[in-house]
Amino acid sequence: MSTLTQPTRKSADDQAATFKPPRYRRPFGVGRDQVVQYAVLAFLAVLVLAPIVPTLYQSVRNRPLYEAGGAFTLSGYTRLFTDAGFGEVALNTVLFASLTTLLSLAIAIPMAIVVVRTKLPGGRLVALAMQWPFFISSLILGFGWIIMYGPAGFVSVKVQQVFGAVPWNLYSIPGMALTEAVALAPIAYVFCANALRQSDASLESAAQVCGAGPLRILGQVIVPLLRPPIVYSAILVFSVSIETLSVPLLYGQPVGIDVFSTFLYHNGLQSVDPDFTVLGAASTIILVVTLSLVALQAKLLKDAARFVSVRGKVTRPRKLDLGWLKWLSIVCIWFYVIVGALVPIAGLVFRSFTLVFTPLQSPFKTVTTQNYEMVFDSDNYVQSLWNSLIVAGVGSVTVSAIAVLAVMVARRSTFRLGRAVEYLALIPQSLPGIIIGIGFFWAFALAPFGVGSMLQGTIWAVIIAFGMRALPSAFGSVAPAIMQIGGELDNAARVSGADWVMTFFRVLRALVTPAFAGALVLTFVIMLKEYSPAVFLSSADNNILGTTMLSLWTQGRAGSVAALATLQIAITAVFVALAGLLMKGKHHA
Amino acid sequence: MPEVTVRNLAKTFGGNSVLRDVTFTIRDGEFFTLLGASGCGKSTTLNCIAGLEQPTEGAITVGGRPFVDTAAGVFLPPEERNLGMVFQSYALWPHMTIAKNLALPLNIRKVPKEKQKTLIHDALDKVGLAELSGRYPHQLSGGQQQRVALARALVYSPTVLLLDEPLSNLDAKLREQARAWLKRLQEELGITTVYVTHDQEEALALSDRIAVMEGGNMIQIGTPHEIYERPAAPEVAAFVGRCNFLTGKVVGHDGMRYGVRLDCSGDVVQVDSDRNIAADDSVTVAIRPERLEVVPPSGTVSGGNRLHTEVMTSSYVGSRYEYDVRLGGQAVQVLSSHGGLTGRVDLVFDPGQALLYADKVELPEEQRDLLTVNS
Repeated sequence: MSTLTQPTRKSADDQAATFKPPRYRRPFGVGRDQVVQYAVLAFLAVLVLAPIVPTLYQSVRNRPLYEAGGAFTLSGYTRLFTDAGFGEVALNTVLFASLTTLLSLAIAIPMAIVVVRTKLPGGRLVALAMQWPFFISSLILGFGWIIMYGPAGFVSVKVQQVFGAVPWNLYSIPGMALTEAVALAPIAYVFCANALRQSDASLESAAQVCGAGPLRILGQVIVPLLRPPIVYSAILVFSVSIETLSVPLLYGQPVGIDVFSTFLYHNGLQSVDPDFTVLGAASTIILVVTLSLVALQAKLLKDAARFVSVRGKVTRPRKLDLGWLKWLSIVCIWFYVIVGALVPIAGLVFRSFTLVFTPLQSPFKTVTTQNYEMVFDSDNYVQSLWNSLIVAGVGSVTVSAIAVLAVMVARRSTFRLGRAVEYLALIPQSLPGIIIGIGFFWAFALAPFGVGSMLQGTIWAVIIAFGMRALPSAFGSVAPAIMQIGGELDNAARVSGADWVMTFFRVLRALVTPAFAGALVLTFVIMLKEYSPAVFLSSADNNILGTTMLSLWTQGRAGSVAALATLQIAITAVFVALAGLLMKGKHHA
Repeated sequence: MPEVTVRNLAKTFGGNSVLRDVTFTIRDGEFFTLLGASGCGKSTTLNCIAGLEQPTEGAITVGGRPFVDTAAGVFLPPEERNLGMVFQSYALWPHMTIAKNLALPLNIRKVPKEKQKTLIHDALDKVGLAELSGRYPHQLSGGQQQRVALARALVYSPTVLLLDEPLSNLDAKLREQARAWLKRLQEELGITTVYVTHDQEEALALSDRIAVMEGGNMIQIGTPHEIYERPAAPEVAAFVGRCNFLTGKVVGHDGMRYGVRLDCSGDVVQVDSDRNIAADDSVTVAIRPERLEVVPPSGTVSGGNRLHTEVMTSSYVGSRYEYDVRLGGQAVQVLSSHGGLTGRVDLVFDPGQALLYADKVELPEEQRDLLTVNS
């Protein structure tokens, strides 16, 4: 070998004596590229497994993990169904989730078709309005609905006055499902609308040429093509409603209806002597359910190709004319937006500026800033506001950076285990927030070198849990943005002599910045709204907006809750507006 | 300048084999082209040389330095191979000026700033763009971007230059000019060059030698002249230039001249071939449209073979006339300088102008359908 290489070196020296081709050190055959790639994999593996493994372990130990001397047991699972009444909880959950799924699809599918595929006055405004859940958490929506439509709500009382009776009962499974469906319909809407926008408009023109009218085209061409997004979003909505805590907790608590998440909440937090074995067993079962839903989703997506009508050529969709039906559609759509979202939120904001909020007495009589003064007078509440901002600020930067790294390893490297990195980054999507909370609570109890006690009860614990929960969204927003950067740019840098790490820092970093900024905005908002993992991790020092609102609500202090909720919405709106302005400025430069 | 040796290169994706046992040597300073339709494995071969893909099997050596050797477990990452490469999309880094684009490989090689300036200036001067060094890539035209990409690939004096369809994004007129320019530049620099293209004309015009690839196999390596005049396989004849394929059976031979009875019309034609083919074997006669001539039935033209045919369509394609004539049940294409022929004509060709291949050539079904004529 050495005799062979000799002549080349000589000729290379003659040829370009001034500079040598780059060399990178690879002790034991491992370069820094691999070190970074394996480090990302290991980090994600630890992060994702940290809450899962202790949960599984706890479900078969007869004593809490933080106590010594536990033994193996399966009694948790048997007791779950005998003493704890988990069967009824499961039934409630399935009922609630199914009803939510049906209702949200019933809202979303017609709306998507009408907005995207027909001539609708103000269609773009509707598309914009459908983004409202991005700014408002389901917890806040729940408060708003109760304030307006609850048994003592503003609208309910008014209806009672006028008609003598209220034809609805919010504190029931259908009531919960309706609220949740209003909150989740935009998810299904976005999936269906995107699919409709991408599908080839010439399919419809073909039907039209064959003599089909608008309604026939809708029924026989458009709707059948929508099957994949419908199935996909149905599973998504179903799994979100299985894990959601806010609405079932607010509505179910007064009347004793329990679903999965509230069961964990009550048994873990509100009982005097929580049975951790039963809690672990319940968490394990819920985990199995949500993970299998994701597996199902992945399987269904695999053979969705036969519905693909996306071709390279971009066609401008021609819109159908529905005639008089379009006015009906407009009324229905704005009824949903106004009654579902606008009225409850407006009511909540109004509630924050008044002492008494009921149609029986003009709320303007008691207009006040007292609710806000109370919030700002209490160190605890101010602290929770700051905590939320720190969690969202520190968390969004960290999570977005991790997401960029993960996407780079998973999609832009030759790393053999790139797929594993991607799966690890996406798994938290299927982990219920409350289980992430419980899981980390146990993980801190088990963690070696005293790491657990250092983190337990601090704001860092909340950042880790929220960050993990926001990671899939960050990954999902970064991946397509990075994939839009042509792969030949990396290849050009590699051939020019940069290794993978240097390619990132010298070439891609600047190009990735917009993707990073986008993920930053997204995760900031997500982490500002988040609260369910925190209910198990909170202490007096690390309360955040969500947990504070929840405890104020149980104390019956609706005014303060409304004030905090209004603040949260305002912060989100200001942040998004500022970010939009900043990014726009960047584009012009 | 070193030579490039590729031995037994193979690549499989999953169970899908995209490259099979490819072996060739590129001589020092040679302009070597990998030619083939998309999916033939030419880009995979180039990427294996560049190090952007790892072959499943095989070895690549450049100037005696092993780049890959799967048997010995050697793999040199692309950044340490010191090659220059121009990509189809040019891959200029959009956020850097032209000068910065060229400076990056020099920075990596820790070239002093002063030296960098002269090197960058020289490289841009070579491609005639020295005055544009402060611009950003998006401010340049496609042709200019392509030349900058070339300058970036050359600025650090790489050992081998790799070109991945660099002209395919230019419009037709510009492409021809760029082709001539590229040829001059390569000859001037004398750098060993590997060029990938699906454009046979480009390959013929530029290359010292061409390797024709199909379905992951390398079917012929030779000079442009050899490839066009003596295609080793019907696939090569079909891909490089146009070609009519007529199947038939050998009815006898006299030395190197074979008599072949054509399946489509029953005529017997004489074809020269240095292959050893037994009587009664199925064969394919391949003949290029421009080697055929059509004459009126009465006309006299010297030529060994004369077949009675009928003109189906004729079209004027600029410098010549293109005829589709019916030969029994098959359409045959002819390029002729004689215009205005219709009805019955005679097809004439010399035995030395046709090629004989053992076995019948199976054309793709779609092509076969288009060539079959109902009589």
